[in-house]
Amino acid sequence: MLFQPVPRGELAEGLASPTRDALAKPTRKDFSRVKPMHSSSLDSRGQTARCRVAGWTAYRVASADLPSLRQQPLVLQGTPLAPSFLKHADEQTIAGLTAVAKVLREHGLEDTDFSQWGVIASPRFLGRAALAVALSRFAAEGAWGISPHLIPHRSLHALSGTVSQALKIHGPNYGVGGGIDGAAEALLAASALLANDELPGLWVVLTGYDPELVPGDPLDNAAQPSAANCMAVALALIPPGKGHAGPVLSVGAGEGGCDLADLTLEQFADTLANGEPLARWNLPCGGWAAWDDTETAVEICL
Amino acid sequence: MSARCPVWITGVGAGTPLGHTYRAIADGLLAGRSGIRAVTGFDTSQHPCRIGGQIDKVPCPPGFDEAAFAKLLRLEQLSLWCCDAALRDAGWWEHRGELRLGVVLGIGAEWLVQWEADGLAGGNGVFHPERDGQSVIRKTCEALQLSCPAVSVSAACASGNYALAQARRWLELGWVDVCLAGACDIAVSPLSLAGFGNLRALSRRNDQPELASRPFDKDRDGFVMGEGGAVFVLERAETARKRSAHAYAEVAGLGASSDAHNMVIPSPDPEPATAAMRQALADARVNPGEVDYLNAHATSTPVGDVAESRVLETVFGESLPRVPVSSTKSMTGHLLTAAAAVEALACVIAMERRALPPTINLTQPDPECALRHVPNQAEDHAVRVAVSNSFGFGGSNTCLVLKAA
Repeated sequence: MLFQPVPRGELAEGLASPTRDALAKPTRKDFSRVKPMHSSSLDSRGQTARCRVAGWTAYRVASADLPSLRQQPLVLQGTPLAPSFLKHADEQTIAGLTAVAKVLREHGLEDTDFSQWGVIASPRFLGRAALAVALSRFAAEGAWGISPHLIPHRSLHALSGTVSQALKIHGPNYGVGGGIDGAAEALLAASALLANDELPGLWVVLTGYDPELVPGDPLDNAAQPSAANCMAVALALIPPGKGHAGPVLSVGAGEGGCDLADLTLEQFADTLANGEPLARWNLPCGGWAAWDDTETAVEICL
Repeated sequence: MSARCPVWITGVGAGTPLGHTYRAIADGLLAGRSGIRAVTGFDTSQHPCRIGGQIDKVPCPPGFDEAAFAKLLRLEQLSLWCCDAALRDAGWWEHRGELRLGVVLGIGAEWLVQWEADGLAGGNGVFHPERDGQSVIRKTCEALQLSCPAVSVSAACASGNYALAQARRWLELGWVDVCLAGACDIAVSPLSLAGFGNLRALSRRNDQPELASRPFDKDRDGFVMGEGGAVFVLERAETARKRSAHAYAEVAGLGASSDAHNMVIPSPDPEPATAAMRQALADARVNPGEVDYLNAHATSTPVGDVAESRVLETVFGESLPRVPVSSTKSMTGHLLTAAAAVEALACVIAMERRALPPTINLTQPDPECALRHVPNQAEDHAVRVAVSNSFGFGGSNTCLVLKAA
C-alpha cells in the first residue's frame, strides 16, 4: 500500500517523515505568535443531527433490465418525463430516479411540492461502462469519438442534477462520495445539510452495483458485461418536529462504538428492505448513523 | 446555510497554473498574468481545442518521500499538496493529531480520471473493480494522518462552495474543531479535452493561448480548461482568536440553488441564480450596495457570461455600476470542479492585498455584459466584502460571501 496509516505522533516510514527544517514554515506570517491549542480546550460535544424519513425504498434491478427502463418514461407526480429525458443518463441514474418514483408512489408523496427541497446523491463508481466505451472509441477514432455527454452524465453530480431536474427542485443539489464509502459520506453530508432547518426536505439517493459491474470489452464481442444488480436507495428526509410519522435517521460525528459494523450501501439497503426497526452503524468516513423505526422514534423527533 | 457563529479562514493551500504558493498566485493574478498555453503531455493534434491552463508538476510537500509522491495520481498529489500547505499555513500542522479535524473536498470525477489515466497508459483497470482502491480523500487523510469526518462533494464547477458550506455546518454542529475545505481538479486530459471540445464549449483560439480566455469580451468564443485546486482551513472565530491565528476572511454567507432546467445548458431564467446570490447576501447580512468586489463565474462562453450579467443586474439593481466585477478565469482558465475554491482564493487575495484582480483580454466589453469591469489591469481597492459566484453542470448555482474578519 502506498499510503500507510501512521499512529498519531509517530513518523511514517518513507512517505511521511517531516523534519524540523521541513516543518519550519517559509511563509510571510509570524507563526511564533500562534498559540497551540489542544482538543481538550475545544468544544468536544458535537450535536446529533436527526431527521424524519418521510419516504424510503430500497430498489434492485438486474443490469440487463436497465436498457428497457431507459426507454420507459417514468411518471413522476402524475407527469411522464420526456422520452429523451434519460437518453444520455448513466444506468445508475436510471435506477436512482426509478427509486425516487417508487418512494413517491408508495409513501403518498405524489402531491408534495419539492421546489424548495434539496438533493444529495451518491452513485458508486459511476461511469465505468461508459468510460470503457470511451477509451475504446478514443483508441479507434481519436478525439472525435468522445461523446460530449460523457462528463456531464458520468461525473459525481450527475445523479443529483438529474433528480433535481426531474422533480423541479430549486434547492441545492450535489453529489457526495463516489467511492466505496459513498453511502456513509452521503448520510453524513445530508444530515448536516438538513440540520440547519432551512430546507423543507432533502432527497438522498444512493446507488451502486452488487456485485460491482464489469463492463463488456468493446474490442472483444465475446466479453459480455458481468451479471450484476443495480441497487438504489431513495430517502425523502424532512427536519424533525414537523408532525410527520416515520422512522428517524440520526447521525453524529463522534465515535459510534467499537462493536458496530461499518455502513455500506448493501447493509443499508438490506435494513430498509427487511423492515428492520432498529439499526446502528459506524460511518467509515467518520461518525455513526442510526435508523429507528420504533415507537420511541416519535419522542426522539418531537 | 446560516452561520450561528462566525467561521474564519485561517489557512490556505493551493496549486494553479499561476503557481503553487499563496504569494505566487496572488502576484500572478494581480499582475494580470495568463497561465494559458498549448497543452503538453499528450497529442492534441486532433482536438478542436489544444490549449489549457495546466499545472506541470505538483510540488512534493515538505518531508514527504519524493519517489513515493511521484507515483501518485496527479489529482492525489494536488489534494495532498493543498491540504498539507493549508494546515501548515494555519499553524495546525504539528497539532493536527490533537484535533477533530474534518475534510470536505470537491472532487468531481476521480474514478473517471483514474480509469482514463490507467487505460491510456495501457492498463485495463476499468475492467477490474477489485483494483479500484480508496478514494482520493481517504488517501489524503491517511497520508496526513487525519482520522476525521471526511467527504467528497461535487456540483461540477460549484463544488468548492458546497465544500465550504458543508465544512461550516460541521463547525456549527460542533462535529469538528477545524475543517479543511476546498476542491481540486486535474481535468486537462485527452478524454475530457475531447468531450468538452465536442460539446463546442471550448475556445478554438489555439494560435493565441494567452488571449483565448476572455470573459465578457465581445470576441469570446468559449472557455479554456484549467487545472488546480485550493484548500482552506476553517475554524470558529473564537478558536482562532484564542490562539491569535491570522484570519484571512470570514466565511459569512453561502447560497445555493438549482435551475432544474438542463444538465449542461444554463437556465434562461435568471431567477434560480438570483435566488442563490440573494440567499448568500442575506446569510452574510450584507446589502448589495456593500459589496466591494465580485468574482464572477463568467467562463468566457457566449451564453453564460450574458446570463450571469442578467443575474447581476437583478441582484444589484442601482448599485451595479459601483460593484467592481472581474473573472479570474481569464488568467487561470476554467478549473471546473476546483473553480469555486480557487476563485474564493482570488477573493481572499483581493481582501488581503487591497487590490482587485482584473479580467484580462477584455478589450471590447460585450454591451450585453454592461458591468463595472476591472479590465486588464489590477486596481487598488479596499475590499471588506467580496462575493464569488460559481455555477455548474447539473444546474447548480452557488454564491459565497467573504467578509473581512
